[in-house]
Amino acid sequence: MKSVPVPIFNFPWRGLMVASLLLVLFPLLLMPIGAIFIFATRDGFSRFITALAGEGAQFALRLSLLIALLTSLLNSVLGTLTAYIFSNYRFPAKRTLGILINLPVAIPTVVVGTSLLLLWGPIGVIGRYLDPLGFRPMFATTGILLAHLFVTFPYMLGAVKPVLDELEVTYEEAAYTMGAGRLRTFWYVILPSLRGALFTGTLLTFAHSLGEFGATVMVSGNLRLRTQTAPLYIFSQFEAGNIEAANAVAAVLATFSFIIFFILLRVTEGKQPHKA
Amino acid sequence: MVGYISPLFGPELKGNAATVVIYGFSILEEAVNKGIVPAFQKRWMERTGEEVRFYTSFAGSGTVMNQIRFGAPADIAIFSHTLDAYRLQEAGRIQTDWNQFPRRGILNRTPIVFIVRKGNPKGIGGFQDLRKPGIGIVHPDPQTSGGALWSILAEYGAFALAENAVSLKRASLGGAEKGLYDLWKNVIVLASSSRASRTQFEMGFGDILITYEQEAVKDLAQGKFNHELIIPKETIYAEHQVVLIDWNILPEEKEVIQAFLDFLWTEEAQQIFVAFGFRSITDEAINRQNKYFREIPSSFTVEDLGGWKAAYSNIVEGIWKKRILEETRG
Repeated sequence: MKSVPVPIFNFPWRGLMVASLLLVLFPLLLMPIGAIFIFATRDGFSRFITALAGEGAQFALRLSLLIALLTSLLNSVLGTLTAYIFSNYRFPAKRTLGILINLPVAIPTVVVGTSLLLLWGPIGVIGRYLDPLGFRPMFATTGILLAHLFVTFPYMLGAVKPVLDELEVTYEEAAYTMGAGRLRTFWYVILPSLRGALFTGTLLTFAHSLGEFGATVMVSGNLRLRTQTAPLYIFSQFEAGNIEAANAVAAVLATFSFIIFFILLRVTEGKQPHKA
Repeated sequence: MVGYISPLFGPELKGNAATVVIYGFSILEEAVNKGIVPAFQKRWMERTGEEVRFYTSFAGSGTVMNQIRFGAPADIAIFSHTLDAYRLQEAGRIQTDWNQFPRRGILNRTPIVFIVRKGNPKGIGGFQDLRKPGIGIVHPDPQTSGGALWSILAEYGAFALAENAVSLKRASLGGAEKGLYDLWKNVIVLASSSRASRTQFEMGFGDILITYEQEAVKDLAQGKFNHELIIPKETIYAEHQVVLIDWNILPEEKEVIQAFLDFLWTEEAQQIFVAFGFRSITDEAINRQNKYFREIPSSFTVEDLGGWKAAYSNIVEGIWKKRILEETRG
């Protein structure tokens, strides 16, 4: 090893780099988030609570939580099933289908909303036959749910599939030799090892559903107290100039996402030592 | 969390009270939600002893029209202008002829005016002043906003009147088109609705906002208007259209919806609109109750420009879309 000559003056590169990173990140990421909370408490905490306690705000938050809950539940079943089939079976066009089901990550959400309308809407490809039967999924909670299932589908899949792919086949085979059927093997052998992945996937799905805007604005109809989710409430109130009301709900959504983010952080960090 | 969500399934939603769904253009929100709906609910309760529940949604007039065209569950729609009503009629969503309603379905009206910064630093008094270079105009987007279409007609009509000073019918077209072109060169922000363009103006964009008088008068009455209202000498009266979306109306809803419709043109309802800054269509005497309304020397209506269909194809499509939008883009 060559000895490094000790410089007379040690230029503080590290400090400079960290400082300039902070200088860039501060206005780019941290200040906008901070602005929500500063604005929320600017006119006193009671004004913030009043804005939040309004009927419209409360309904929007409740609806968003309900949709996020249903979306996470349905997609955890659908996503796990898809991941299981994909890592256990061979079938024609598997590769193409694999690309297709991951597509929602890349498609703009507004496009998702538009295509749902063109499919299920009253003049849509399927919708036009449903309409005479009195079934109108669009501009209703069903429409919002369909949009969220679509948009968040890849998150569950992305969390579960890598774990399934890495899962030792021997455990599964051992279960079979001991006489367990497919269902029992899945329930007692595979599912327990997916617990962490399911949790991460569910949280990711939940977080994305809670904040979904682009697809929702197209399919919900934005009806106050009926189909207006929290992000739509924020947008409508802001457009109408009720910045306080918009901001109060925005602060709540931001807090939710922080909580979810920190739980995720804890879970993934806690898992590292086991893996090693 | 489940406990927090549970009110969604509560008696509020399950109850068998009649429901009416209203979709309206942007600036109506306060007047409908805080004025008209509670007043009607009270009247309906007095008359039938029953509750009636309202669901409302507000956006740019064109946005609302398209939502309904694609299946939004509106029973009643209130558009910024009759053109959106024609479009929905063509799409098969409307069967009832709105001309059979009182005032042919025109609910109220409000002139197109200017809102400028305090002290009017750019000295804006009329549409001619908006042609000067260096003036930043905040305008709603004609693709989605009804107020924006009214504004284009106001701009065109005012320039045409200035050319000719006698009547819009004989005005020279070239001069008005040149005026419109100069003005649109100064437009710096397009917002999706009139309400949204007001918010952008509030956020500090531009020197002047072209919008409905109602936007300013509603705030003046509540003492929270911190800009200046300029009423140009020549301007248009925007007239707002009510329609029934027959396609969405269930037989059992007909009675309450008809009652609501009748209510809209009663003195009580028109007074509410005036209190929220709209000018009444039924009675000039009601308009005197709002001290912020001024006489407009040469006002005109869309009829003076040949009606909506002609005005739209000649002025909005023929001039604004084909020439001005293209040229001012470059």
